[in-house]
Amino acid sequence: MSGPAVGGAARYAGTRVHRVEDTRLLTGTGTFADDVTRAGLLHAFFVRSPHARAAILSVDATEALALPGVIAVFTAADLNGDIREQWYTIDGPDIPDTPRPPLADGMVRYVGDPVALVVAEDRYIAEDAAELVMVDYDPLDPVVDYATARESEVLVHDAYPGNVAGEIPGAPFETLDEVCDGAAHVLTETIREQGQAAVPMEGRGLTAEWSGGELTLWSASQAPHEVRLFASRLLGVPEHKVRTITRDVGGGFGQKVVPQREEMCVLLAVRKVPGPLKWTEDRQENLLSAGQARHEHGDVRMAFADDGTMLATSIDHTDDVGSYPTPWPVGPGIAVGMMFPGPYRVAAGTFKHTSMFSNTVGRTAYRGPWAFETLARELCLDIAARRMGIDPAELRRRNILRRDEMPYSNPVGMPYDHMSPNETFEQALSILGYEEFRKEQAAARAEGRYLGVGISTYVEPTASAMPYYGSEGATIRVEPSGKINVYMAGGSTGNSLETTAVMLTADALGARIEDVSTIQGDTAVTPFGPGTGGSRSGPMIAGAVGETASILRERLLAIAAGKLEADVADVELSESSASVKGDPDASVTFAEIANLAYFQPAALPPGVPAGLEASARYAAQAMMLWANATHVCTCEVDTVTGAVKLLRYIVSEDCGPMINPNLVEGQIAGGVVQGIGGALMEHLAYDEDGNPVSTTFMDYMLPTSTEVPVIEYGHVETPGPNPGGYKGVGEGGAIGAPAAVANAVADALSPFGVTVTQLPLTPDAIVGLISSAGGAS
Amino acid sequence: MKPTAFDYHAPASPEEAVSLLGSLGDGAKIIAGGQSLTPMLALRLAVFEHLVDIRRIESLRGVSRSNGTVRVGAGTTEAAVGRSDVVAADVPLLARATPFIGHLAIRNRGTIGGCVAHADAAAEYPAVALALDATIETLSPRGTRSIPAAEFFTGIWSTALEPDELITALEFGVWSGRTGFAVEEFAVRSGDFAIAGATVAVELSSSGSVDRCAIGLFGLGPTAVRATAAEESAAGTAVPDLNPDEIGQAALAGQDVPSDSHGSAAYRTRVGAAMVATAWRRAVKEASGE
Amino acid sequence: MSDDIADVKVTVTVNGRPRRAAVPPRLTLADFLRERCQLTGTHLGCEHGVCGACSVLLDGEAVCACLMFAVQADGAEVTTVEGLSPGDGELSPVQAAFRDHHGLQCGFCTPGFVVSVTAFLRDNPDPSDDQIREALSGNLCRCTGYQGIFKAVRAAAESSSASATPSETR
Repeated sequence: MSGPAVGGAARYAGTRVHRVEDTRLLTGTGTFADDVTRAGLLHAFFVRSPHARAAILSVDATEALALPGVIAVFTAADLNGDIREQWYTIDGPDIPDTPRPPLADGMVRYVGDPVALVVAEDRYIAEDAAELVMVDYDPLDPVVDYATARESEVLVHDAYPGNVAGEIPGAPFETLDEVCDGAAHVLTETIREQGQAAVPMEGRGLTAEWSGGELTLWSASQAPHEVRLFASRLLGVPEHKVRTITRDVGGGFGQKVVPQREEMCVLLAVRKVPGPLKWTEDRQENLLSAGQARHEHGDVRMAFADDGTMLATSIDHTDDVGSYPTPWPVGPGIAVGMMFPGPYRVAAGTFKHTSMFSNTVGRTAYRGPWAFETLARELCLDIAARRMGIDPAELRRRNILRRDEMPYSNPVGMPYDHMSPNETFEQALSILGYEEFRKEQAAARAEGRYLGVGISTYVEPTASAMPYYGSEGATIRVEPSGKINVYMAGGSTGNSLETTAVMLTADALGARIEDVSTIQGDTAVTPFGPGTGGSRSGPMIAGAVGETASILRERLLAIAAGKLEADVADVELSESSASVKGDPDASVTFAEIANLAYFQPAALPPGVPAGLEASARYAAQAMMLWANATHVCTCEVDTVTGAVKLLRYIVSEDCGPMINPNLVEGQIAGGVVQGIGGALMEHLAYDEDGNPVSTTFMDYMLPTSTEVPVIEYGHVETPGPNPGGYKGVGEGGAIGAPAAVANAVADALSPFGVTVTQLPLTPDAIVGLISSAGGAS
Repeated sequence: MKPTAFDYHAPASPEEAVSLLGSLGDGAKIIAGGQSLTPMLALRLAVFEHLVDIRRIESLRGVSRSNGTVRVGAGTTEAAVGRSDVVAADVPLLARATPFIGHLAIRNRGTIGGCVAHADAAAEYPAVALALDATIETLSPRGTRSIPAAEFFTGIWSTALEPDELITALEFGVWSGRTGFAVEEFAVRSGDFAIAGATVAVELSSSGSVDRCAIGLFGLGPTAVRATAAEESAAGTAVPDLNPDEIGQAALAGQDVPSDSHGSAAYRTRVGAAMVATAWRRAVKEASGE
Repeated sequence: MSDDIADVKVTVTVNGRPRRAAVPPRLTLADFLRERCQLTGTHLGCEHGVCGACSVLLDGEAVCACLMFAVQADGAEVTTVEGLSPGDGELSPVQAAFRDHHGLQCGFCTPGFVVSVTAFLRDNPDPSDDQIREALSGNLCRCTGYQGIFKAVRAAAESSSASATPSETR
């Protein structure tokens, strides 16, 4: 079955086409950041702070510099002053951004803070030299706990009183007092999520080469054009003298959306060393300094009528932004409050958001950065349901929005449209067989086994039209041989943007897919694009390919009509040929058309330019494309060990028509398993002195094949108001999963009177919940 | 994450290896499979000037049986132990502990001698060696020693080995008669170090009472430990009169259980008791021929 | 300090081709393959033996190339992911199964999975689902949630030729 296409007839869209990326990746011939090598390449390694907070009294690199093979050791004094401009295009220059020095200057503010940059002939020597850089620290008391940082006398940054990085209030919470006072049930709970990390399998990495006033960068990035722009501003090198090349990137999940402090250091240092400079982040650095996410809590209030009707929701949300959040964390933080009402019919709501500094690693984006709204809301709905004596599914059923209620404005002003919360909800429950599961659960409990089911529903704004993300360009060339290349900004980090562009281009031009190739990730030849982020790539690629292909279609048709002596309206494109409708023998191949276009321009119909190349840019029409999903998870909890075994995991989602179901399901699965990890085991933890305790894969526990259930999918299709109707799907899996898993555990343990308000649900934590609840009722 | 520099030595015989250890002094370290040592070198948690690689010494490898004893060469990989028919038949506890060690790629390199010498408290083989009263054969420039497992593990990551002493083999007595063996381990993920684990061996009399039993614990102390008091309370008693849960509780009583980010001491104690109880049930079931 | 230590001459047969080199003893097998042999398909995901991205076959057995030094591989035969494909853009049965079942996304962990699965299916041509999960547990993937990987391994096991491996691995 095929779906809609953007121009042309759909042949590939909607089908499970094999990926064009796979052959090189499967045979070990991809090119990741560390695979790049250059003549005379030098290697960078950072000296990092062992203290959560300390004054830097002195840095002595004498011994390090004496080591054979060491080229340079840079400190803040060498690099920081060279900055011309430092801001991210996503935010612009005028927001009240938080501090972000390349190297620590005078103070270190978290364990891992880069203090000096060693440059050496090889990585082994660079690491040896880093141990020889003598830094004299005066250790100071840190602020480790963001939740109490406001009361601390210690300031992470002197310019931020109370350690508040920023606050954004909605309407005052008191505005809900009246409805809450009159409500039959009011729930107040504080929900807490632990620190986590994006953990792409490939860490960050950058190789920079400075040659004759030109800067070439090979970067592990989700946004090659932003790396270029950022570098251009940072160094004062004109944008067109900077080229970023990004071929294969080993995962990003938000962590590689913008260059961070280490990349700044490499950029600032490369002009001072006698060769290209490479930095490859190793795993310990990645878990130490590439950023934290998800560390936050929310004070929730929900009011219900006697029959379970939701009357009001509010959340007072606070997140940990660490010491050097990247990019500015405060603005994005309000998304938690804006999305907190979720897919429910609720008349009144408000929120407040606060970002707090701490002496820990800075906050960075991680797949669904606002996902806490779903965790907080869905946990609270289950708690409320149990307290009201209503089944959690039934409570949701009474409140969930239906497709026929769209458009609908949520109580804090989010304009929902083109989505289907109730439809995915009912589909997911049906796939599970919810009532049958309840019977199975009852039978198991009679045998002393504790099964549970958890539901999580959410709505998600994808492909935002905000200025930076709101447009995407494509250049398409039908080459002189008739083969086709589509040039796009790229930024693929596993999300199959090459396959997506190739499928959509083939459909839009009526080409055979094997005749289409794509070039992405090289700013020298691709149009500007903001890269992957905000679940935007599918819809925006579709828009850009559609815009550009429509120009080329017109030319292909005109040339073919001239050649075939037919009316343009009677010519159609398919199988890399143009033919007259109803007369397949009257046909001309793209190769023949291209030959005319390039080599016989005089023979072209009047007004048709020579060549077959076009560029165009798609600008998003809607402010956002609303996707939605319901996750349903079942589990068994071993009440002796606290182990959770996930039994079934069902996702019913609506991302509109699917460009390629394999890729959609792959995105969902990856996100779900990240969410499972966050619910059960992942924890980017610090001890009370601010020392990170999870800087290896022994301690930062990613889910493995043995903890992960088979994921079952249901699809509901509500097209968005955009070309093809495609909506984003990159982040949803990670948004829905933590609450589904946690609610399943809570449901399993409900006979004990357990209330789950905090992640992760490690075995130890689960045993603690059972013990403190006092045993089975 | 690159190790500091070291010199590499690849002796051809155990004698040459210990002679090197003696002459190179404190800065030298034996590397066998290297599956625990290499990460510590990469993280620069361990620094040595010399590595003495014993993987090339043929005589350290292999499994053999004679006179009621199974001898496993120290250089035998965990994967080879797991594949050995002799081990499976005559030292089932060792065979059954093997799949819990790391992952396949780790077991393909890691050796039984290296595992025991590293003496991680959460590792499986030390608890097997303790439970089965294995003898640890060693060589140093002063000659050979036979160290009972009970005297081998002396503290956190420390053993009775002298700095210039090499484990050459482990010897396990073969249990015969109505015997049963079980290993139970709890870890958050497959292949992780155990949060709590138990190895249990039992031998029943013809009348169905416990003739002898052995309980080894791992992840539950500063080293692998033997639950002697629990064993003594069970010995001589008829199986139906024993409550496995109580044996589990008794096994953990008085143990110096560690606490870390993966589990508090109280939690590990609870899970450890459960592991002992489950392993006990399974071992007794096997011994009873059920 | 590193200057005091002499390089060691080694010969390692990599994907059937003898490679002679003088290496510092501390050079890991993974870095030897990546930097000396320019075989960059072997990836470094953790460098402490947990993620499996650097898995290679050493005399036919899957090992973590980050947990070995090149000097330890002297005289051995090593097969990397580059050596598993028949060449010229063709895929081995395991590689083809990963492509057919969307068993990879970013592709960074993929070479390690391909190597581990190749060895696993050679030794266990008819595995159960639990055995497959257990066999994969030494390889971490952050993109796929392992879903496509399960399907790929199951399919590769069921395809008759999946247990065949290139001749140089054994």
